[in-house]
Amino acid sequence: MKRELDPHLLSLPESSNAATASSSNIGKAKMCWEDDTQQQDGGMDELLAVLGYQVRSSDMAEVAQKLELLEDLMGNAQGDGLSHLASDTVHYNPSDLSTWLQSMLSEFNPPPPNQFDPMVPPAAAGAPPLPLDDSFLGQADSSTITSIDFDPQNSKRGVFEESSTSDYDLKAIPGGGGLTVPSDSTRPVVLIDSQENGIRLVHALMACAEAVQQNNLNIAEALVKQIGFLAVSQAGAMRKVATYFAEALARRIYRVYPQNPLDPSLSDILQMHFYETCPYLKFAHFTANQAILEAFEGKTRVHVIDFSMNQGMQWPALMQALALRPGGPPAFRLTGIGPPAPDNSDHLQEVGWKLAQLAETINVEFEYRGFVANSLADLDASMLELRPSEVESVAVNSVFELHKLLARPGAIEKVLSVVKQMKPEIVTVVEQEANHNGPVFVDRFMESLHYYSTMFDSLEGSASSNDKVMSEVYLGKQICNVVACEGVERVERHETTAQWRGRMGSAGFAPVHLGSNAFKQASMLLALFAGGDGYRVEENNGCLMLGWHTRPLIATSAWQLAATTSAALVH
Amino acid sequence: MAGSNEVNLNESKMVVPLNTWVLISNFKLAYNLLRRPDGTFNRHLAEFLDRKVPANANPVDGVFSFDVIIDRSTSLLSRIYRPAQDGEPQLNIVDLEKPMTAEVVPVIIFFHGGSFAHSSANSAIYDTLCRRLVGICKAVVVSVNYRRAPENRYPCAYDDGWGALEWVNSRSWLKSKDSKVHIYLAGDSSGGNIVHHVASRAVESDIEVLGNILLNPMFGGPERTESEKRLDGKYFVTIQDRDWYWKAFLPEGEDRDHPACNPFGPRGKILEGIKFPKSLVVVAGLDLVQDWQLAYVKGLEKAGQEVKLLYLDQATIGFYLLPNNHHFYTVMGEISNFVSSDC
Repeated sequence: MKRELDPHLLSLPESSNAATASSSNIGKAKMCWEDDTQQQDGGMDELLAVLGYQVRSSDMAEVAQKLELLEDLMGNAQGDGLSHLASDTVHYNPSDLSTWLQSMLSEFNPPPPNQFDPMVPPAAAGAPPLPLDDSFLGQADSSTITSIDFDPQNSKRGVFEESSTSDYDLKAIPGGGGLTVPSDSTRPVVLIDSQENGIRLVHALMACAEAVQQNNLNIAEALVKQIGFLAVSQAGAMRKVATYFAEALARRIYRVYPQNPLDPSLSDILQMHFYETCPYLKFAHFTANQAILEAFEGKTRVHVIDFSMNQGMQWPALMQALALRPGGPPAFRLTGIGPPAPDNSDHLQEVGWKLAQLAETINVEFEYRGFVANSLADLDASMLELRPSEVESVAVNSVFELHKLLARPGAIEKVLSVVKQMKPEIVTVVEQEANHNGPVFVDRFMESLHYYSTMFDSLEGSASSNDKVMSEVYLGKQICNVVACEGVERVERHETTAQWRGRMGSAGFAPVHLGSNAFKQASMLLALFAGGDGYRVEENNGCLMLGWHTRPLIATSAWQLAATTSAALVH
Repeated sequence: MAGSNEVNLNESKMVVPLNTWVLISNFKLAYNLLRRPDGTFNRHLAEFLDRKVPANANPVDGVFSFDVIIDRSTSLLSRIYRPAQDGEPQLNIVDLEKPMTAEVVPVIIFFHGGSFAHSSANSAIYDTLCRRLVGICKAVVVSVNYRRAPENRYPCAYDDGWGALEWVNSRSWLKSKDSKVHIYLAGDSSGGNIVHHVASRAVESDIEVLGNILLNPMFGGPERTESEKRLDGKYFVTIQDRDWYWKAFLPEGEDRDHPACNPFGPRGKILEGIKFPKSLVVVAGLDLVQDWQLAYVKGLEKAGQEVKLLYLDQATIGFYLLPNNHHFYTVMGEISNFVSSDC
């Protein structure tokens, strides 16, 4: 039975109860938990914020009413109603309780089309929830792409069930805007093996970094040699990581800097091995493609501008998913941007050719342009021959590229303003989840030591030793850059999602949240990786992060131009 | 049906602060979505919805934390919480496992709740609770990320608990000045249940557990007790969901007389004459399984074991998650005394 959700039913909140006691100073705590006091940060209830929920104190009663209403509706619905919410509904940003509850309420009571409901995010207002579209699922003809077959209606109710081959299923769903709250800086550490064995090695690495920072190069030199000896007696990931860090320190000490930029064909090969060995790049491509697919829903001509073209590995899966769209694929245009090759070969064009061949086999109208640029900051929107946004919808994609711009002052700001000129429907960004760009060398050194130790450990379980070695070389080049280089040469300037949120927000972008369907499919993708027991997907304020055990290592976020949402109205 | 539901919702709203009500109701709603009638669990959605926090080697309010894989073969992870030394701004990776300086440092091995199916050591609610325990007890807390049901039934959680106990007991850096590791076991809901069973196993070994702390521990049995019937559905919890979780945790085909569920039932182990640790058992007066919890206390008493019951009249489940009620402070004080009384 349906009940009208009358927005006016939710009357003005009564004074909400908020605690004033602080969490750890029990002795000094005030016992007056009945007061309703004005909270400090944006009016959020502090106690719930610590537990991961963003609820304004002034909204508390309203949130409580939504909970009651939902409970009532769920209690009255037959088994179907409930399981629909669990299996078919896509959930977003559970930290924003009010919006999350509201979106579930909308499942029971879709608002009438012309009524502006101030509590429903504008993207969803007036739109009934999308039913699960089975016609979307199916086999693609092409056999060159490995992806995942996912049919939620028929899949066995087991845990981590998956079929071994076939296609990407990227279901299109509407995006939604929302609040983001920057998190404090933290140092997450996962120790894989007890320190006791590697303690001298870590001590030596740290001492060497300190000596380098203080310019005591004689001491540093002696320590680097000692690290070499100690590393040999270690096993596994720790040995390899220590060796790379020692080499990087040695380069810094002796000023034998690594060749920069790396020959792109070599870096492409390394990246391909990295792509095969571990799920980080696949996760990046998968989650970014999901967001792009959603943003392109209903568009007839689409244009992806890829800042990280390399071998174009991200695009076959997206093209396939577009090909399988009900109503047929849009016209697909791809602009690939990459650095020049030293032999001036046009490798970007070659990649484009291969994709064109794929497009033909799957009947997708395809257009391609390769752009060679030394830096993304050299680009101007006018170079790209963009069509009017009513005619062609644009997605901008960047996987592990934006952080490089932080090496030159003004570069990131320029690029982001150029991106805005492209009037994109969506901007997908994948970056390392780490702060390797702090001002103090020793801090950067230790942060990156933790980060890459965790990374290397995740590679340990992988099957092919050949791929593994190449992946380690790939990561080793990053380590070398973080540790040995400075100034414009130091391009591996990784920053955390919290930091990127700040930058994107300042540049005029608003977040687009990735939801539970992308989360689930990404998790299932991970289960396919042998030796990959420790991989975890986490949702964080609308971003999806992939990590090893409890340490997030890369993060995918999606953005749209702030002016196109009614963010100001809703919040 | 709708009418009685309204009554139930109003009752629970009267006994807890509003933000607590929102928090626990939110869990209740989410958990309803995750349990499927056929006994399977929507693990992906559960992990998506669970609010997690990373460990933090930077001290916050005097506590820092880091994660350790204590058993690679099962990917068993624990989060270690330590008090920061005064004046120590930031620890380096080399210092995380350095020995303690105080005369006696209690080490509390903590098992989070979630009815054997929900939550993790890095769930925000439990990260926060463990940090509080460090401050209150001046202890090191080791929060065990045990394997959960229904994917991993009995005895996985107990095996992981046992593994953690062995690991803690063998860390040289966790020793107090008397060269021994001073170990307490603590847990809420299913964690409380795990505490009992790990302690039971410990008595057959040479590992000494100094005390058990059970917060609203999860026990049950085949009968419907008076408290279950009286409080069914009134304060966030239903008999139906309790049944679901036991079915998910116990071996297939077993009933709730299984000793994991009912340690003092007909199939339980006899504890008389055994050196079992002293116990602090906290029972919330509005928890529908309190009759089983009280039976547990009686069972310990009858077996001649030292046990203190803390019965909190108007407390509901989860009262210890937010420091906004007097039960919270009562319990924290009792725990502090319980742990420090051996120093």
